[in-house]
Amino acid sequence: MLEALLTNHQRVTRRQLFGNAAHGIGGVALASLLGSQKASAQSPVLTAAAGTPRGLPGLPHFAPKAKRVVCLWQGGGPSHVDLFDPKPVLAERKGQDIPESVRGTTRLSTMTSGASKWPIQPAIKPFKRYGKCGLELSEMLPNIGSIADDICVVRSMNTEAVNHAPGVTFFMTGGQVPGRPSMGSWLSYGLGSEADDLPAFVAMTSSDKQKTCGQLFYDYYWGSGFLPSRFQGVRFRNAGDPVPYLHNPPGMSREQRRILLDDIQEMNAAHLAEYGDPEIDTRITQYEMAFKMQASVPDLLDFSTEPKGILERYGPDVLVKGTFANNCLIARRLLERGVRFVQLMHAGWDQHGNLFTQLEEQCRDTDAPSAALVMDLKERGLLDDTLVLWGGEFGRTPFGQGDPAKPNGRDHFGRAYSMWMAGGGVKAGTAYGATDEFAWNIVENPVHVHDMQATMLHLCGIDHEALTYRYQGRQFRLTDVHGKVVKGILA
Amino acid sequence: MRRCFPLLVLAFSSAAVSAETPLSFNHDIRPILSENCFYCHGQDPNKRKGNMRLDVRESALQAGESGEVVVVPGKADESALIQRILSDDRDEQMPPPKSHRTLSSEQKAKLKRWIAEGAKYEQHWSFVPPERSPLPQVDPAGWVRNGIDSFVQARLEQEKLKPSPEADRATLIRRATLDLIGLPPTPEEVDAFIADPAPDAYERVVDRLLASPHYGERMALPWMDAARYADSNGFQQDGDTFQWMWRDWVVRALNADLPFDQFSIEQLAGDLLPNPTTDQLVATAFNRNNLLNGEGGAIPEEQRFNVLFDRVDTTATTWLGLTVACAQCHDHKYDPITQRDYYSLLHLFNQVSETGVAGGGPSRMRIAEPFLEVPTEETKVRLAALEAREKEAEAAGQAKAKFNLALTAWKAGLTPESKTPDGRVLDGKLTTILRVPLEERTDAQKKELENGLRSQFERKVWSGIAKEDAGAKQWEDAKAEISKFRGEEIPRVMVMRDDKPRETFLLDRGEYLKPTEKVSFATFGFLPAPPAGAPQNRLGFAQWLFQENNPLTARVQVNRMWQLFFGRGLVRTVEDLGVQSEAPVYQDLLDWLAVEFRASGWRLKHMHRLIITSATYRQSSKVTPELRERDPENRLLARGARFRASSLILRDVALAASGLLNPQLGGRPVYPYQPEGIWETLAITKERDFTYPASGGADLYRRSLYTFWRRTIGPANMFDASARQTCKVRADVTSTPLHALTTLNDPTWAESARVLAARSMEHCTETDARLMHAFRRVLGRQPAERDLAALRRAYERQRAIYDSDPAAAGEVVKIGTAPVAANLPVTEHAALTAVCLALLNLDEALSRE
Repeated sequence: MLEALLTNHQRVTRRQLFGNAAHGIGGVALASLLGSQKASAQSPVLTAAAGTPRGLPGLPHFAPKAKRVVCLWQGGGPSHVDLFDPKPVLAERKGQDIPESVRGTTRLSTMTSGASKWPIQPAIKPFKRYGKCGLELSEMLPNIGSIADDICVVRSMNTEAVNHAPGVTFFMTGGQVPGRPSMGSWLSYGLGSEADDLPAFVAMTSSDKQKTCGQLFYDYYWGSGFLPSRFQGVRFRNAGDPVPYLHNPPGMSREQRRILLDDIQEMNAAHLAEYGDPEIDTRITQYEMAFKMQASVPDLLDFSTEPKGILERYGPDVLVKGTFANNCLIARRLLERGVRFVQLMHAGWDQHGNLFTQLEEQCRDTDAPSAALVMDLKERGLLDDTLVLWGGEFGRTPFGQGDPAKPNGRDHFGRAYSMWMAGGGVKAGTAYGATDEFAWNIVENPVHVHDMQATMLHLCGIDHEALTYRYQGRQFRLTDVHGKVVKGILA
Repeated sequence: MRRCFPLLVLAFSSAAVSAETPLSFNHDIRPILSENCFYCHGQDPNKRKGNMRLDVRESALQAGESGEVVVVPGKADESALIQRILSDDRDEQMPPPKSHRTLSSEQKAKLKRWIAEGAKYEQHWSFVPPERSPLPQVDPAGWVRNGIDSFVQARLEQEKLKPSPEADRATLIRRATLDLIGLPPTPEEVDAFIADPAPDAYERVVDRLLASPHYGERMALPWMDAARYADSNGFQQDGDTFQWMWRDWVVRALNADLPFDQFSIEQLAGDLLPNPTTDQLVATAFNRNNLLNGEGGAIPEEQRFNVLFDRVDTTATTWLGLTVACAQCHDHKYDPITQRDYYSLLHLFNQVSETGVAGGGPSRMRIAEPFLEVPTEETKVRLAALEAREKEAEAAGQAKAKFNLALTAWKAGLTPESKTPDGRVLDGKLTTILRVPLEERTDAQKKELENGLRSQFERKVWSGIAKEDAGAKQWEDAKAEISKFRGEEIPRVMVMRDDKPRETFLLDRGEYLKPTEKVSFATFGFLPAPPAGAPQNRLGFAQWLFQENNPLTARVQVNRMWQLFFGRGLVRTVEDLGVQSEAPVYQDLLDWLAVEFRASGWRLKHMHRLIITSATYRQSSKVTPELRERDPENRLLARGARFRASSLILRDVALAASGLLNPQLGGRPVYPYQPEGIWETLAITKERDFTYPASGGADLYRRSLYTFWRRTIGPANMFDASARQTCKVRADVTSTPLHALTTLNDPTWAESARVLAARSMEHCTETDARLMHAFRRVLGRQPAERDLAALRRAYERQRAIYDSDPAAAGEVVKIGTAPVAANLPVTEHAALTAVCLALLNLDEALSRE
């Protein structure tokens, strides 16, 4: 239904340009038959009709601060206690139980909900002040520290989820159970794409080298739920072709494909003239877009023109496929090319029993690439209108997990945790919200996951209550029936 | 976008409703009120503003909190409703600006006119049992073939439109064949149909297709989407399951034309039927095809409730066409479904011994209780062989004798302080019994001791002996092999079984930790009640769906049939026929079909035949610019439907056209071509091996429905398919560049092209004949001269490429794993392969037109 209406909407504009499309041949195909690839690539109308539809009429609702978003997802639940939310009291009371008055009835995972001891585990490394703003972060994050004046740490995030998959699903889609559209698909549905030869929404995954985490990334984290499937994220894979079926079959070259496509398109155009179905026209343009992607994706992944100094910023793994560092650099190149939403998902933060060894390694793998991406964007003037989100599905318990006398990990903790943001429209060099002296309860400016979603949409020029899609007889939205824009973190 | 939608409806209904005919509440007014007002002034008391509700006439006629009378029948100007919707005052205005809802001037005028006409209410159309209205009188010289066509022709006459001519025979047989069995017709079938002068030539084609064993396979596809069928549980361990036994049951039941009421009752409550057969038990797996979370740390009871919620949603969407999820937390805002209704339905599913966990163990399989072991003939034979081996091993090593000897010796020497070889003392219960003097032990104690010691011995003592003693080891290995075989190979289908009675409560805000009032068996209060004495369980519910006065069940199904054969339902919102659904252009036709379905004894094949043999279905799908302008979405049905076939069917079409298709029915899932490392993201977990166990040989060419469906990562080449995580009944047909890349580059299509080219060359000697042969294998029809010219040109251009690059040609003719046709000239074969790939990618090949 909606699909057809969108097509119709585009058709009107095309008809005004080319006359009745049914008489002839798809515009792009025509251009390619005439040997003029460029003409098509430069025409925004044709772009809109291709795989990169324009957004909905009336959107954005107001002038956006961010035109694109990159989400640096830290899967498993990074410890706010160790990294972002310094609490001297924890060190003073090490090993004592978290007072019951603080714990209350907090819902915990079954790994610790039956425990009888809640031994306080202070941050495993000292905190340090960074930047002109003096933001306090762990000394394990020197590179993120170096961009302290560009970021806003939110210390009052909270979620109802106690476990990974429901938690990630909740952040990405607004519901704990799979089935709803993800943030990126909402954005590409609402705003369309600015890239004419790349998908509007790209997802990439990576994990710590030791694979300690065991958390998986499911495709519904970037799925389109009940939105038409063309709005789903395209996952660039780490093995084989980054996009499935990007390469021609053996013995079929790009030149051969071009000639074959021309013949396919000519036969399709003749069929269109006979049947008059605008879907045939759409098919013609999609085949052209596919051909373009077969060149643009390899070009995207060709780092040969990146200066050495830039590569070094991202750390030693930058050229290793499938690492977070490598993905961060690809993310920058995607954003430069106008991709709307880039979702990097990195696993490895689930330190139930290896806090003292794994957390530092995890920081080493992610600290430099995260900061490098922000610096690169800033130097290119892209940070002003790109929103960067960094965080996970929850934080970790301020008490230790394992042997109460000698804990070696922390459990999941959604009651209060931290994230950071940078770029488009975010108040830089600040910390927002606060927890009590145990990093357990939020005492100032709580930011629920739905609030973060509302704020993300707001920065993109969207009223989160007005971007809706009708499904099963009701209007659905990313923030369900909740969420409010967090004014305090807007620049 | 949303705003365009009511306008389209209006365009048609205003053509039908002249200025003199009073407005219809259901068609003209309820959609406006429902969309814009009911959220705050509907049936949910928690959200109601100003203590005012508009969904019930009595309430609307009373004064609200503000003292204004909302609706004064006959007096629009005195009605607060009209004053408020016309107000410019932002504080007064309705809908309030903050709601982001606005009424068009046409909608405002309608509301005004409706009140002036007396503000009559009607019950929502789909909540009133359908009646078979008399067939409309139409021009007898028209094109009516059956009842369906009378409704369509009457409407078209009213709209001053003519139906499209019948599609040509080649198009028609391809359409019917794709729709009914999901495969293309062979050129021989096309020719036979074209040459058949009998007046019922088409009907006989349809009957042949309905009798084909592939019919059940094709019809299973949408049912599998509704049932969120997958071959694994989802989430972290994503354990594999044996639910394919249910899939095979569905295919068999559909092929046998099991009446839809039985088909449904067996799936919802087969276990509660008297003396249920194995098939009836397997059928209940429908309700166990849900996501199951096996993550460490997940709270089982919370997960169990997620399963229950999903089961309620799936059941309501599949059979009632209602969206009930809202009522998990509060009374439904639009439909008259209360939270109590919701939990009364949930209660029926709350009696199963499932725990919310997916099970553990080293096996890749994860089967949660309750399940049914269903050995297939093949597994029975293999198990018998393994058991025979075990016996042999035992006899050869005299293992049992050794076991008994060692056990007796071990027991004789035991004291309450004895330790097992692992240095631990015996279990406390056992030592307590051991301390009781032999003559004072009760029989129960003796038995407990005997069993306990035996199991201790087996695990801790005998296992050590078996490592040293070759005979014992052989026996143990043979036993281990049996237990592995039982665990991994003998199908255990997760089924429904009411073996854990539980009380059910309303949950405050839908939170499982906040039970409030207790509920018991009840069907939805706003629908006709079940007869007194109906079973108070799933069976009672299932039977209630099919009682004569249930207004929804039949409508929901015929609407989905319509979607299957026309791309869209008569009500476009096939998942929702509730108050918020779209008012159908052809409600009379929908109701007529619904009654026909019930009256036929719920026969699916009868209904499919009726629709497919109608003149409405048989129309050509070519569209004139005028008609496209007038009715872009073909709501009036003045032409045949044309849409892209599902990707699962497209894959089957490619395999069938090339002759590679393996037509074997049923069985365990297979693992055809997928991109390298398809499950690579899942390999993050070390808990199990996620290497894709690629199939070889004939298993590569099974129909798509047999492809193993991992719930966390579906098959990469089955685009636009349901994610198989929640119930899905609406068909998704989109067009993206990724789809083009799939059908151009996936080895399935490339290999099909290569094999199709080889067969065409083996079949014919002339280039033209070869091109025609390939063309017809894919498209069925004879190519027109224009087609042939285009194919010739394409072939010549490809020939030129491969003549100058024989090495590339050599690669092309080896694509895939099917035997290489070594006797064929390589460059010609390569060039024709490219043309065949083009054929498979023509819009005409991808569409059913």
